[in-house]
Amino acid sequence: MSAALNKRPFDAGRAAYIALNLALLAFLLVPIFVVLIFALNPTPFISFPPVGVSLRWFEKFFASSDFMNALWLSLWVAGCVLALSIGIGGACALALARGNLPGRAFLTAFFMSPLMLPAILTGLALFQSYLLAGIGRPTWGLILAHTLVAVPYVLRTTLAVLHNFDRRIEEAAAVLGAAPVRVFFEVTLPLIRPGVFAGGVFAFIVSFDQFPVSLFLVVPKGETLPVVLFNYMKFDLDGAIAAASMVSILLALSVVLALERLIGLKAYVKL
Amino acid sequence: MADAVRSRPSPIAWLIAPALLLFVLFFVLPFGVMTAMSFFSSNPVSNPNAVLTTRHYERFIVDSAGIFHDALWATLRIGFITTVVSLLIGYPLAHWMARMQSRLGHALVLMAVIAPMLTGIVVRTFAWMTILQDRGVINTLLVSWGVTTRPLPLMYNEFGTVVALVHIYVPFMVLTLTGVIGRIDERLEQAARSLGAGRLRAFAEVTLPLSLPGILAGSLLVFALSISAYVTPSLMGGTDVLTLPMLIAQQVGTSFNPGFAGALGVILLLVSLAIVIAYNHILARLAGEQGLA
Repeated sequence: MSAALNKRPFDAGRAAYIALNLALLAFLLVPIFVVLIFALNPTPFISFPPVGVSLRWFEKFFASSDFMNALWLSLWVAGCVLALSIGIGGACALALARGNLPGRAFLTAFFMSPLMLPAILTGLALFQSYLLAGIGRPTWGLILAHTLVAVPYVLRTTLAVLHNFDRRIEEAAAVLGAAPVRVFFEVTLPLIRPGVFAGGVFAFIVSFDQFPVSLFLVVPKGETLPVVLFNYMKFDLDGAIAAASMVSILLALSVVLALERLIGLKAYVKL
Repeated sequence: MADAVRSRPSPIAWLIAPALLLFVLFFVLPFGVMTAMSFFSSNPVSNPNAVLTTRHYERFIVDSAGIFHDALWATLRIGFITTVVSLLIGYPLAHWMARMQSRLGHALVLMAVIAPMLTGIVVRTFAWMTILQDRGVINTLLVSWGVTTRPLPLMYNEFGTVVALVHIYVPFMVLTLTGVIGRIDERLEQAARSLGAGRLRAFAEVTLPLSLPGILAGSLLVFALSISAYVTPSLMGGTDVLTLPMLIAQQVGTSFNPGFAGALGVILLLVSLAIVIAYNHILARLAGEQGLA
């Protein structure tokens, strides 16, 4: 019906509406392309317009041991966070959706709350706890801190999948004589797998890009990539940062594509 | 069905245990520690002379240097402006996306909205630094076109901070709003129009009021996120901007005063908690309405 309305010859209001939205999309996307330009521009400092194309900043990034150590640490931490948050978050989502727990709404809000409370405070609170416990700032402490803020993402995607699929499939399996354990492993688990994996991919990115939680929990010479970039940017603004940024943007992009293939991005709108 | 939901917890409920353990040990307990530390004169474990005190809070309230209240005020002001601008930018996008008929178009816009979200905060702040600095994209273009002779002060101030924060948090607004607008029956607006209302009037009197809960939820989310931002204000704000999270980082990093940092943390936490509770309240109401439909 509205399609018929839209097919009038020229509609100034509608054209303005679409133009406005395209401009807003440009606002969202242009900064990312600008980073690409500076990553490829060979001048020693950030300057516009670009004068050429070179890979010298990528070389500098990949040749610098500071950047590389940070990159490997970030990837290692993010990998551990991925595994941990899939297990913990996936199990938690199942318990919330199928466990008949009392106070489910409160529990869900509680497990989601690290997303809304200032992440820098989560970092501060953990820093003070580690200080008080006298354990220093171990890498496992950083990993568990990241896991804490990554679990809500796995929880959200898994719950979305659990709400979407028809519970009668499980009931049918049970009616046909499958024991609860068998229903769980042969029906429920395969059905929620895409949601759990999608959440895990999110968890990886959240950890890989994490700054506020890491800020107080990293040790000198043992900093994650975002912290190293931040400290570098305070004094220097050259193409190496742009190249490092490109590496992380490409990672994010591949994640978006992976997500779309896994469950479709629509699940994220249903927050 | 309703009886089954209210019955006793099933064995699956035990799967909550690992998450509960993690959250108690690394979330609830640490926030308790932070709160406790804010009432101690120094580390009570390493220093036997540590005493209970409210002096960290007094220091904030008295504010003899005149910076703490300004920092709190600047934090709230930046959060508020960021929220309003994010709403103005996010609403049209969300509306467009919610009403889009083409599945492909919808998927493409959704990707465009989510892609920046998956790019780290440090990276996005860097992008805005290259755009807004004196030799950045905008100033270079303006000078070469002769619009201005000197570069405009686009960053190292609150303006630049807000621009970058809006870019970072607008996707959260869009995603919250799209869900809500998408649930509003399009036929309501069409009915208003067939009764003679113009397009703008139909929007202003039908769709806009119905999307109010989404506006509120999205705004609270963006506000909560932007008052806790650290990276963007400290890189984009230069010496002009001092927010509560920056003050906290200073107390930990340079002044090494965990007690006072804890007190500042508790103050920021209280503000955030109030917002989170309101947000969950609205979200619960939204979910309730959805359940009835």
